[in-house]
Amino acid sequence: MKIKSDSYMFEMIRTELTDVVGEDYVDVKFADKFGHSIDYYWIPEMWHDRGRECPKPDFVVHPATTEEVARIMKIANQYKIPVVPWGGGSGSQGGALPIYNGIVLDMKRMNKIIKIDKEALTVTAQTGIITKHLEWGCNKEGLSTMHLPASIACSTIGGFLAHRGTGVLSTKYGKIEDMVMSLEVVTPTGEIIRTLPVPRHASGPDLTMMFLGSEGTLGVITEVTLKIHPQPEARKFRAYIFKDFHTAMQAGATLMRSRLGPCAMRLYDETETKTHVSKVFGIDLDKGAYLVFGFDGREKIVDLQMQYAREIMEKQFHGKDLGSKGGEWWWENKYKFFYPGYMFHVPQAFGTLDTVADFSHIENVYWAMKKVVNKEFPDARFIGHFSHWYDWGCMLYARFIFPGDKVPPNAEEAAALYNAVWDKAIRAAIREGGVINEHHGVGLKLGRYVKDLYGTAMPILEGLKAKLDPNGIMNPGKMGLPGCW
Amino acid sequence: MHIDKYEEAMMNCRFCFMCRHLSTIGQVRCTEVDTPRIRAAMLYGLKTGTNSFDDSDFVDALYRQELSACCTHHCVNHYDENGLAIAARADVVEAGKAPEAVKKLAAKFAKSVGWSASGKGDVAYFLDETTASDKQVVAAAKKLFAAAKVTPKTITGGTIGKVLKVLGYLPEAKAAAEKFAAFLKAEGVKTLVVSNPAAFDALTKDYPEFGVKLPCKVFCFSGFLNQAKVKFTKKAGGLYYLADDFMRNYDGCGCPEKLLKTLKADLRPFGTNDEESYCCGEGAIVLDKLNPALVKALAEYVAARADDPKKDKIVVLSAYTKKCLKKYGKLNVVTMEELAASCL
Repeated sequence: MKIKSDSYMFEMIRTELTDVVGEDYVDVKFADKFGHSIDYYWIPEMWHDRGRECPKPDFVVHPATTEEVARIMKIANQYKIPVVPWGGGSGSQGGALPIYNGIVLDMKRMNKIIKIDKEALTVTAQTGIITKHLEWGCNKEGLSTMHLPASIACSTIGGFLAHRGTGVLSTKYGKIEDMVMSLEVVTPTGEIIRTLPVPRHASGPDLTMMFLGSEGTLGVITEVTLKIHPQPEARKFRAYIFKDFHTAMQAGATLMRSRLGPCAMRLYDETETKTHVSKVFGIDLDKGAYLVFGFDGREKIVDLQMQYAREIMEKQFHGKDLGSKGGEWWWENKYKFFYPGYMFHVPQAFGTLDTVADFSHIENVYWAMKKVVNKEFPDARFIGHFSHWYDWGCMLYARFIFPGDKVPPNAEEAAALYNAVWDKAIRAAIREGGVINEHHGVGLKLGRYVKDLYGTAMPILEGLKAKLDPNGIMNPGKMGLPGCW
Repeated sequence: MHIDKYEEAMMNCRFCFMCRHLSTIGQVRCTEVDTPRIRAAMLYGLKTGTNSFDDSDFVDALYRQELSACCTHHCVNHYDENGLAIAARADVVEAGKAPEAVKKLAAKFAKSVGWSASGKGDVAYFLDETTASDKQVVAAAKKLFAAAKVTPKTITGGTIGKVLKVLGYLPEAKAAAEKFAAFLKAEGVKTLVVSNPAAFDALTKDYPEFGVKLPCKVFCFSGFLNQAKVKFTKKAGGLYYLADDFMRNYDGCGCPEKLLKTLKADLRPFGTNDEESYCCGEGAIVLDKLNPALVKALAEYVAARADDPKKDKIVVLSAYTKKCLKKYGKLNVVTMEELAASCL
């Protein structure tokens, strides 16, 4: 923000913000601002690790109602102050970082479940609710959102909406955008709008979809109605080891083409099976690629689905059956992969080269990325798994990891190395028909590739932004859209 | 620095979000600064020079922590973020940067070290100040001792060290522990029963850490009743059980749960989950004195999760929790002693 914190204008703005939310909910202390300067993006983590200052907001504001959000947006527009919505702050793409300072709109006071409709099977909630709490609220009624991502414990539902998040049961229940009925949004200029109440209609283009994945650049999503589901009678898993990743991929794709409808599927390449899956499960999986899948619903139907799936795995592709226990290992430990000790951590340099493609392209995307990382960055290790499967293709959760002693101690050099990996690997993926990305979003990290990705369609995205946000204050500099200085 | 002993927790928690949903204070204040991640990141900043104890907001955040340990309990690696926070408080105190309110409280408690005993025999009941202030709990305990055919010696007095440790005054806490152990020895105590889970935690965890040996066996009140084979004639019936942080998240002894079975309690799940602390700052011992507004918010958070706040019967383990939940949450709360006495 161009207004200095020791100026009287800073106090004038603070007074206006305080008038909206109350004194307790406008933070200007160093400790509070520090808390909003680091998310889960490696660059700010590394910057902090090297003892360097990360950009901080001038004000952290905690609204409790949609009307308060609208009033804050009007103040921000009047003074042209950048506004960055913040949920759990656990994004890996730098999407919620206040790179131009200004106001961070911490949404976590907007954490109410407004209604669980047992007739329509929907839940309406404010978007600052931590998704685990939303899920627990539904569970108490015997229901579930079925949105169960690894970050369920730390991310708000608004965060998932903002970057099109995906849970582990995506293969059956879809990504977050498949679960949304409707949204309430505060536009950048402070108007409160609601999208149509149902997602299937023929009443023109779908505004709900326009706001989903907009990462706070087109407005603040303040309320959502989501589809919910009864808890299934049974959910069963089975796992196999295949001789190599290619055979496992063919088996997985065949299962998807069979339309048997698994609720989840994961395939780990040989390296990740050996180094990661083995460690998390505490068992020796020395050779081959681990594939796990499951079905849920009425038990008799699940058993029948499983029987047909086993025929594909065993008769067509000769997978080594690890049994239901081998599948349960994954389900029981699915979040363990993300705890320190199992997840990568600074001083290592690491990144998830999250890409999605159809079955005709996904293997080529994998090999292209692997080749470029192995060739250009011999100090880095490349591992990958395929974690969200759809009728037409799947998501590649590829990762590169530099050991800590191979990462330059100098922050600028470390950032340059890190960005170089992304430049080469992501561009290789795009060339092979991959789309960045499936569920982490674009944020700051991938903004520079959006023009490559959208091509001649980019002016449409830019035009939308300019029309909705004439002062360019909503999360500037993200998603490849303009900054504000 | 004391925090160096907890470097593993600091280095791993500083970029980890996996217990965000359990961050009790972060949840009621809706802040990032009150989460294990940011506390650890700020402490790491001491090493690189980006943060310092000169920042009173940072120090305040350290003293705002409820120390429920539910993050440690939940974490697959069980990193001791509470241990890190207490170590940081000790560093704050050594640096002379403790907030005035903390200094005053610590001075008051340090002065209180000293006890007296009434009665005879080698079985003693330690009645800490918080429990002693709740007449119903005291009466229930008396009734239960009678049912167990035990006439204990009653020990009353000041802190046995826990509060001083939690506030970051480690040498004073150790001194209090040594003094209490010597007092018990002088009194010939062979069996010590305590009501307050914080006192039980101090005696069974802190004292060994300080290298202080006790001359006696220590029982929590439930543990005492379990082994005393008291005959209960009435069923406890339907109720909600909220274990204090110390028994729930600090490697609990399992005695209250065993007693609830004996009492034929029909336990109902409180709230929406069994991961959250649902605490009022028991772990921080004196959070109600340091930050009553925060304790009020914690109690209201718990009360908002009750199925029927007016009718639900809730059993807790400490007089502290009972006091907070009744005062701010308007809940129908009894301690384990009261529940057990009502079943005689």
